[in-house]
Amino acid sequence: MSSRTGTSGQGSNYEYVIARVRARSASLFDDDDYRKLVRMGTGEIARFMEETEYETEMNALGSRYDGVDLVEYALNRNLAKHFDDLLRWSEGALYDYIARYLRKFDVWNVKTVIRGLYSDAERTEVEDDLIQAGEFTERRVEDLLNAGSVEEVVEQLDDTIFGESLAEAFDVYEESGVLVPLENALDRAFYETLLSGLPDNPEIDSPTGLYVEFLETEVDFRNLRNALRLARSGADIDPSEYFIEGGQLFDEQEVAQLSTNLDQLVSAVRESKYGEDLDQALSSLEEADNLIDFERALDAALLEYADRLSNRYPLSVCPVLSYVLKKEREVDNIRAIARGREAGLGPDEIEQELVIL
Amino acid sequence: MAKDVKPTRKNLMQIEDRIELSERGHDTLEKKRDGLIMEFMDILDQAQDVREDLDDSYDRAQRAINMARAMEGDVAVRGAAAALKEHPELTTQSKNIMGVVVPQIESSKVRKSLDERGYGVMGTSARIDEAAEAYEELLENIILAAEVETAMKKMLEEIETTKRRVNALEFKLLPDLYDNQEYIEQKLEEQEREEIFRMKKIKAKKEEEEDALATEEEAQEEPEAVTADD
Repeated sequence: MSSRTGTSGQGSNYEYVIARVRARSASLFDDDDYRKLVRMGTGEIARFMEETEYETEMNALGSRYDGVDLVEYALNRNLAKHFDDLLRWSEGALYDYIARYLRKFDVWNVKTVIRGLYSDAERTEVEDDLIQAGEFTERRVEDLLNAGSVEEVVEQLDDTIFGESLAEAFDVYEESGVLVPLENALDRAFYETLLSGLPDNPEIDSPTGLYVEFLETEVDFRNLRNALRLARSGADIDPSEYFIEGGQLFDEQEVAQLSTNLDQLVSAVRESKYGEDLDQALSSLEEADNLIDFERALDAALLEYADRLSNRYPLSVCPVLSYVLKKEREVDNIRAIARGREAGLGPDEIEQELVIL
Repeated sequence: MAKDVKPTRKNLMQIEDRIELSERGHDTLEKKRDGLIMEFMDILDQAQDVREDLDDSYDRAQRAINMARAMEGDVAVRGAAAALKEHPELTTQSKNIMGVVVPQIESSKVRKSLDERGYGVMGTSARIDEAAEAYEELLENIILAAEVETAMKKMLEEIETTKRRVNALEFKLLPDLYDNQEYIEQKLEEQEREEIFRMKKIKAKKEEEEDALATEEEAQEEPEAVTADD
């Protein structure tokens, strides 16, 4: 795990990192691999994985897990290793660009530790579920695991980007007794720092412009998911509580207004810049009220966007970000195939669920 | 059985009372059994619907959680589940259906809104929501099935008991009582006949004795009359 901190402003080593990322991108699974995998049983998938990029993790975890659990833990560990390498290799602004996106794994780890403490889970269970792909050092993760209470976790994170919002949410958590405020505070802190410190109006077709545009799209899609889930749930929740600043699609007032009416929300998205990419998914959402298909369409749109990024500016953060997204998608797809086969789903059903470019 | 009964009028009256009571009980129990069966048929229809719903919701819930585990990962699903400590609350009351006490289960906090499920909305997906929703529906159906199927089981037990009682009255107690009644009646009639016969005998004997006495008296009176003539 990386132990470095962001050194934004210093010189970046794009050439070195991108050369290594290109080599790693080449070893990602292609369509043929997925076609083979969806036709395999769970045992065959595990054996197939032992002959690929995931060999080391499969062998290392083989004595503790078996079947699809082994595949899932190996995928997570491999993902963590690759993303940690990215942080280890990169310097300067490039490190900062990558780290701000990978902090979502720090969010994941803090949530896992808090949930473990909340539900009195064993330390080993919590440790196994961590994905150490974020910016936190091994020492910090170890300290979090050693924490005896949620309050201690909040105190330990005081010096991080999550400190302030977690401290505020802790009071609400103590009153309500549910983890929702803490989890939302972590996610909010992540999304809000995603765009902070980046140029407000970068040159549109520049590498930074594309990077900012990608992050804005990520924030827009997260706002869109939240608004749709709130609209569909019918719960008496203030939508603005879940609004993340920084996107281009909605402002806080629009979200509050549109979350009460699904039709208006869909028309607003249709008329936005994402309307064309999401047209089919929006129609399916209107017809079948199927949010899951729509979320898959959002994932596919993000992935396609990331793929476009990789070809535009070979010496920028774009190919790195594109690799990060593709690697995440690969892990998601392999896990989906293995779990899908375990649950008895047919190849066609699984293929329908996968997001492949 | 009949031989154990003393053929007395008092016993006959007691048996007649018991017969009347048993016949009334038999009619009432028969009506109760028929009523219970009718109620049971209604509950059976309901139970079949509930069971079908339960099977459907179980399939849906399994599918939803399998899909959530596949697309979000087992770790994420377990994590989301661990974010909630609060359990649904169940309270049981009882209601009376034709004398059968069946449970009435009230549940609360089974269905939860998005902000009550413990996990944060911003970091999760609709798949987790769908799995949670499907399991909430499954839990509701399990509670309903528990209520209806327990009522059905208790009704069945009661029908069985009532049927046994009706059969015991119809095929054992009442026939025995009728036998006893007939036995005592026959015995009493026999005793009556014997009594009449004995009375007749006594009467005849008395008459005979009276006749003999009268003849003797007449015989004594006749010589006295002869003496007077002399």
